[in-house]
Amino acid sequence: MAWTNSKVFARYVSDMMDNIVAFDLGSDVPKVALYNNVITPDNTVVSASTAYGVGQWAAANEVSQAVQWPVGGVALAGTSLTVGASATTYDANDTASGSAATLASIFGALVYDDTITTPVADQGLSYNYFGGTNSVTNGTFTVVWNVAGIFRATY
Amino acid sequence: MKSWGCPNCGKLAYTAEPLPHTEFHPCPGLKGVLAPMIEVGQKVKVLAVVREDYIGREVVRKDDDGRPVMAVVTERPDGSNDCAVFAPTASFGTSAG
Repeated sequence: MAWTNSKVFARYVSDMMDNIVAFDLGSDVPKVALYNNVITPDNTVVSASTAYGVGQWAAANEVSQAVQWPVGGVALAGTSLTVGASATTYDANDTASGSAATLASIFGALVYDDTITTPVADQGLSYNYFGGTNSVTNGTFTVVWNVAGIFRATY
Repeated sequence: MKSWGCPNCGKLAYTAEPLPHTEFHPCPGLKGVLAPMIEVGQKVKVLAVVREDYIGREVVRKDDDGRPVMAVVTERPDGSNDCAVFAPTASFGTSAG
């Protein structure tokens, strides 16, 4: 299987609606971890399996480099939540590595809430598929978030 | 003050930002794709990389010809490179029945 699309985790939505997890995207600090193509992301898994370091998101499948794009990922900065006429959008500044990164086989990213510790630590919010393999050699790797946001709810 | 140029469209820019950063612009030379500016004096290639997988319902970035662009890569003569990937938006829909 492998990566096929970008999705919001169903349990992120239901845990928020059911007040099981106190997500606060106005103050929480999510992180962006990079992954290779060995994994098969699934947005319908239970909450525990959406978390960083668990299941598909295990460290063995993570693409990282000390200092440049460290294990556990890079924190989102400049986050914003915008309510519009047809969608509520969660966005942030583009996320960049250090300037001497060497990373290979980057297929996508897990965006998870690094502030949440209970009932599931580091619960996943979304995963975003880049559309193929990407790499960088002794340079800067940047995730440019779409103008429509990292993720959004449409209505 | 830093001076920037684009090898594909010739656009020039100047910034006074003291922290490390890269200027981006919608590049006419790359059919409108958002591309990095290069510090003046560097000899590099800036290339748009077409998405390898099918689009499906993904919200992707496209060039002026409608081709889905996955990333823009800056290649330097020493073999190093930068890569800026365009992450699609993850979406979920809500409706009242």
